[in-house]
Amino acid sequence: MHKPKTVMEHSSPRKVALLASCLLNQNAKVCQGAHYPGVVSPVVEALRSRGYLLQQLPCPELAFAGARRWWAVYEQYDTPAYRAHCRRLAQAIAPLIEQYLRHGAEVILIGLDGSPSTGVRFTSSQPDWGGRPNRPEDDWEIVPRRGIWIEELEAELARRGLPPLPATGWALDMGRFDEAGARRDLEEFLDDREKGDSGEDAAAP
Amino acid sequence: MNDARGWRVALVPDVLMNAPDRARAALPDVLHILEANRYGILQLPAAGEHSLLLAVIADQAAEYSHHGYAVVAIGVQGESGNGLHWRRLAPLLRHRGVALPPRHIIRPQIKATIEAQRLTAFLTGYDLPLEEQRRWRL
Repeated sequence: MHKPKTVMEHSSPRKVALLASCLLNQNAKVCQGAHYPGVVSPVVEALRSRGYLLQQLPCPELAFAGARRWWAVYEQYDTPAYRAHCRRLAQAIAPLIEQYLRHGAEVILIGLDGSPSTGVRFTSSQPDWGGRPNRPEDDWEIVPRRGIWIEELEAELARRGLPPLPATGWALDMGRFDEAGARRDLEEFLDDREKGDSGEDAAAP
Repeated sequence: MNDARGWRVALVPDVLMNAPDRARAALPDVLHILEANRYGILQLPAAGEHSLLLAVIADQAAEYSHHGYAVVAIGVQGESGNGLHWRRLAPLLRHRGVALPPRHIIRPQIKATIEAQRLTAFLTGYDLPLEEQRRWRL
């Protein structure tokens, strides 16, 4: 089996952060959803300063519905076709994650809270969304639940007999983005890991 | 609502995202340079098979290329395929109707500050033609 080179070559403790694609590339966001030009620097800074290697996850929405997709909520993406697409992406990235774990790395997952796909603690919900996209602003709800992509990724890792990953979300898609609050949340999660406190981790939201 | 996207995406090898300790001083901080130049990242995996993952990455690169985003690739001299899996990635991109993105190769044997300047010049000097920008970037 090929060993993940960078993890094996790093002499410091092996820590890997799986990142929602848009945390390294805001161009993946739905139109009007990008809060940064490219890299979400507070997330990258928090992780690099604590010695984490970065592993970007694929963006499920971009490859499925395209760069010019409409906004959508959990219920609209909860279809057999989208779940099958997410399972394909999970099968593409899972071997890398498995290698990291089998070689003793500590792996964490940073998703995007509020996202219908990549939410970890929260996703967006509105069962009656559909049809012509002329909804009034902010008429969806934020509910405590994984997004579809995270559900399928975790299911694929479980199928491989891998343990649940400690996970949290950067609260970018919660309706009103509060960068300072999101940064505090993330740093608390990471610092709790350092202290050996699992904090808000793999337990379902 | 405003949208802050930079409309620029770079394919980046794992070794530039996660430079091994022994190589860190020899390489420019590519993440920082990309961020400063308003680029997003599509990370390529370290050496290995990764057939399905490369196809997934090619799908994403194609979607950007077809919709008004400037896509570039940044490699590293001395890495197999410059760290870009180019022999496999290039056909995947062509198969999706994508013109191969311009490539910039980092030279680890050259001083990191000089390579940082070269990379910055490359990134700032490249974009789509104005008419393409106007067509897509509302």
